[in-house]
Amino acid sequence: MWFLEKYIVLCIAKYYIKDISLYSMIAENTQTQMRKGILEYCILSIISRGEIYASDITRELKKAELLVVEGTLYPLLTRLKNNGLLSYSWQESTSGPPRKYYQITSEGKDVLIKLDVTWKELLFAVQISIENREII
Amino acid sequence: MNKTIIININSIVFHIEEDAYENLRSYMIEIKKHFGKSEDSKEILEDIENRIAEMFSERIQLGRKEVINMEDVSQVITQMGRVSDFDTEIVLGDATAETYESDPDGFQENNSSSAEESDSQTRQENSHQEPDFSLLTAKKLMRDMDDKILGGVCSGLGHYFTIDAKWIRVIFVLFFLFGGSGVILYLVLWAVMPKALNRADKLSMRGEKANLQNFKKSFDEEMKGIRENFSGTSEHFNRGARSIGDGLGRIISLIGKIFAVLVLIATGGALIGIFIVSVMHILNLMGFQNDVYFPPLEVLQPTAAFFAILAATLAIGIPFLALFFFLLRLVFKTRPMNNYASMTLLASWIVSIVLILYFVISTNQEFQEVSTISVEKQLAKKEVFVFSENNMRVIKASDEDFNKKKFNLNINEKALSEVLRSDISIQFEAIDSLANPYLQYNYHAKGKSYSEASERASKINYQVSQQADHVIFNSHFTINSGQLYRDQRVAIKAYLPVGTKVLLAHELDHKVRDIWADNCQGEQKNYSEWIMQKDGLKCIQKLIEEREKALQERLDEQEKLKEEAKDEEASKKKDQEEKNKTEGATNAA
Repeated sequence: MWFLEKYIVLCIAKYYIKDISLYSMIAENTQTQMRKGILEYCILSIISRGEIYASDITRELKKAELLVVEGTLYPLLTRLKNNGLLSYSWQESTSGPPRKYYQITSEGKDVLIKLDVTWKELLFAVQISIENREII
Repeated sequence: MNKTIIININSIVFHIEEDAYENLRSYMIEIKKHFGKSEDSKEILEDIENRIAEMFSERIQLGRKEVINMEDVSQVITQMGRVSDFDTEIVLGDATAETYESDPDGFQENNSSSAEESDSQTRQENSHQEPDFSLLTAKKLMRDMDDKILGGVCSGLGHYFTIDAKWIRVIFVLFFLFGGSGVILYLVLWAVMPKALNRADKLSMRGEKANLQNFKKSFDEEMKGIRENFSGTSEHFNRGARSIGDGLGRIISLIGKIFAVLVLIATGGALIGIFIVSVMHILNLMGFQNDVYFPPLEVLQPTAAFFAILAATLAIGIPFLALFFFLLRLVFKTRPMNNYASMTLLASWIVSIVLILYFVISTNQEFQEVSTISVEKQLAKKEVFVFSENNMRVIKASDEDFNKKKFNLNINEKALSEVLRSDISIQFEAIDSLANPYLQYNYHAKGKSYSEASERASKINYQVSQQADHVIFNSHFTINSGQLYRDQRVAIKAYLPVGTKVLLAHELDHKVRDIWADNCQGEQKNYSEWIMQKDGLKCIQKLIEEREKALQERLDEQEKLKEEAKDEEASKKKDQEEKNKTEGATNAA
């Protein structure tokens, strides 16, 4: 029966090891979901202030600690642009190649207004939810 | 001092150090792979390249230098971020939304961004209409280590073709029963298919996306399986059987390994053998005579023969080589041969096969037409003929015309084997006892056309000489030098009158057809003695034996008759005596 014992021990060990990684994965997933929506909202907000270059957006987002690497931004910008929320124009640069300057479209502005409303609702909901929470 | 490379990013030229370039290149490939799936990948890549170019030019201006080095590249990469740093869920939001399946546990997720809520609804509907799309593209052929009897090959195949593994097992068993091919197939697949070790492998083996839901699903399934295993006794038994299967598998794999090593050694030997044989053949072609020779090569010109040997060596050798490498990989876990080498081998194998086919077909053309030239020559009539052979390779210096011999002149500095042939047959036919004996020469050759064949036949040089009652056959005939083997043959028919006695030298035994000279012994040691009868040549010794036998039989018969007569007499006597006795008795009475 020694091998059965060994097997049980192995399985239990496996279970715990897998457990930790699994729940950290679940947490990560939720974080990603949260951050994703907020990231797009933030980008739209930053661009709505006026024409802006991609690396300046990165800088602002880095300052807000919402974005770590620049590479994540480009696919997002491309998608927002393809969805008609953004447009861009080429501008000459003193250093290097011409740059893409992004600006918000009228559709983008409409979406942004809706998002503002949703954000306020969410903020309210979250505040209510966590107000009387005991576990930190 | 460093070597620099000039690169062009978005039509801006940079000088970059070699190692830095390699680094950048692998980074770009990584990124391309990452975004390759999504529709916007081209634009995204352009943006990233543009940004990299800009960062490079900033660095050049700031640092007042001309060359991008390793440090610049690694800093740019950290700023841009590795692929692993990219938030996959964000980046591939669109791509994954299409492949998500509804989760039975209610672990439903809204994957779309808030900006395109209306969009996502239709997307998810689409995904229900074509759920197989992602299954088909992502599946990998791997061995399932959880559901295995020997190596998990069958269950792996089952996952791949979405069939229950037991059916595949049944098919394998059937294959094994019919000729045992299943074993080889199984071993090959075992060696080729990788193990599904981690969870991601297992998911891709089942054709599921390696994302969180599926991870969780597979994890839950595994836990469920374990719980069931510990509660149900039947599953207990199953586990036990599986571990027995494991042990059995180990034994079988050990036996397989020993077998593989043996085959490996045999294959290695075969390879060496093939090499030696081909070298010997090439030496033969170059004029170094040796025993290793494949006769059909005679039909080719030397250069063609060279290529034929090469092609044959490759055609036979490459499969052996492939087997050798495969076994080597199997036994010693060496790395697989690189792709270019194996492709080259395959290509040269195909070329060699084509070449061999070409040679076979083209030379076959050369043998299409047959021509036979028939010549008759009278023999002086004799009571007894002595047929013997003149070995052309032995030149007697005492011959008067030693220097004039035709073939001596003909084959000046030529290898004998090229011009001398020994396809000679002799047959004997009976003619009327009063007719004159004669020889019929049939010169026979083949060629592409009839005229070619008959010309070739006419070039055959063969004569039989008669000296008194000696008829001397040359051991070989000559063909013109430079002519190739085209099935040239000489068939001689000797028409002899009935009653002629024939002494046949034993040297000729292998040329003589229709009769068996081996079984016939004459008074003289080197000759067999024959006599021509109406139905062909008969061995004198045999005839005598037959006659003696017949005589003996007759004698035996006479003896028998005599004995029978004696017996009869004796029985008569007995009867008489008995009669006398009874008569005597009656008389006495």
